[in-house]
Amino acid sequence: MDDLILKKIVKFITPCIQLFGIYVIMYGHITPGGGFSGGTIIAASLILQHITFGKNNVHFIFRKEMALKLIGFSLILYSTIKGYSFFGSQFHLPHPPIGVPGNLFSGGFILPLNILIGVTVSSTFYVIFTLFSNE
Amino acid sequence: MTLLHNYYESASIILFGIGLATLMLNKNLIKKIIGMNVMDTSVFLFLVSKGYIAGRSAPIITENYEGVNAYINPIPSALILTGIVVAVSVTAFLLALTIKLYETYGTVDLEEIMKMKGDDHDVNSKLPFS
Amino acid sequence: MKNLICIIITVLIIGVLLVGVSELPEFGNPNNPEHNALSKGYIENAMKDTGAKNIVSAVILDYRALDTFIEATVLFSGAIAVMTVLKERDK
Repeated sequence: MDDLILKKIVKFITPCIQLFGIYVIMYGHITPGGGFSGGTIIAASLILQHITFGKNNVHFIFRKEMALKLIGFSLILYSTIKGYSFFGSQFHLPHPPIGVPGNLFSGGFILPLNILIGVTVSSTFYVIFTLFSNE
Repeated sequence: MTLLHNYYESASIILFGIGLATLMLNKNLIKKIIGMNVMDTSVFLFLVSKGYIAGRSAPIITENYEGVNAYINPIPSALILTGIVVAVSVTAFLLALTIKLYETYGTVDLEEIMKMKGDDHDVNSKLPFS
Repeated sequence: MKNLICIIITVLIIGVLLVGVSELPEFGNPNNPEHNALSKGYIENAMKDTGAKNIVSAVILDYRALDTFIEATVLFSGAIAVMTVLKERDK
C-alpha cells in the first residue's frame, strides 16, 4: 500500500509491538501470558510489516525456507530437553537452578521452553499468512 | 431453575445451536466455515467454565502464598490452550481447500458447484477434462 | 422446505442438550466432583517444585510438558498441510 500516514506510523510502532511481545514471553512464569500469547503478538507485527511494505522487507530469517528450518530446529530441541525420560528412569539432565521465585532467571527449564514455543508459534503463523497472500 | 443458575453452560449450548444453523442454512462456503468456528468456540466456553469456584481468585501467586483454598482449579485452563491451537489449524486447512475449489470451478456457491460437477460420465459438464 | 427441516433439527438438538445441562451440578460449588486431590496437589506443590509463580505455566510446561510438545507438532503439521495444498501459487 502507498499511503503516507500508514507507512510513517507502522515504521514507528513496530518495535513497540515486538518489545511488548518479547516481554510477555520472557515473564511468562510470573505474570499471565507465556509462549503462545507472546508468539501471536510477534506474528501480528510481522504480518503488519508484510502488508504495508511488501514481501521483501521482512527479515530473511522468516521467509519460507529458513522459517521451516527454524521451526524444525526448535521442535527437535524441545523434544531433547523434555523427552529424555523415555530412555530410562535414572536419566536426569542437569537443569538450571530453581532460584528465588519472583526473579526473571528462576524456575529451571520453564524460561527456555517458553522462548522455543514463542519462536515456533510466530514463525508458523507468518508462514501460513505468506501462503495465502498473492503478492 | 438449574438452567438459569448455570448460565454459562446454557449460553454455550445456544451458541452451538446458532453455529449449527449457520452451517446448514447458507450456501456460501465461507459462511459455513464461520459457522464451524462458532461451534468450536462454544465448546471451549463450556469446558473452561467448569473450573470456577465462587469467591476465589485467579491462579497467580502475587505476594504471598495464601493457602490451597484461595485459588480456582487450574487444570481446565491448561487444557483449553491445546484445543484453541487445534481449532486454528483446522480452520486454516479448510480455507486452503476453499481456495483450490474457487480456482477450479470459478465460484464459491455450493449449489452451483454441485450443478457444474454433474454426473461422472456427463459429456456436457463444464470441466476442462473428462 | 429444506430450511424448515434444518431449523427443526437444530431445535431438537438444542432441546436434548438442554435437558442434559439441567442435571449438571451447581455452578461454582466447591464440592463438585471435578475439584479433587489432583488440583489441590498442583496448587500446593507448584512453587516448591518448579519455582514459578504462575500455576498454569507450571502445569503446562513442567508437569505436562509432553502435551505442549504434541500441540506444537499439530501446529507444525497444519502448516505443512496448507503448504502441500497451496504449493504452486508463487510461479
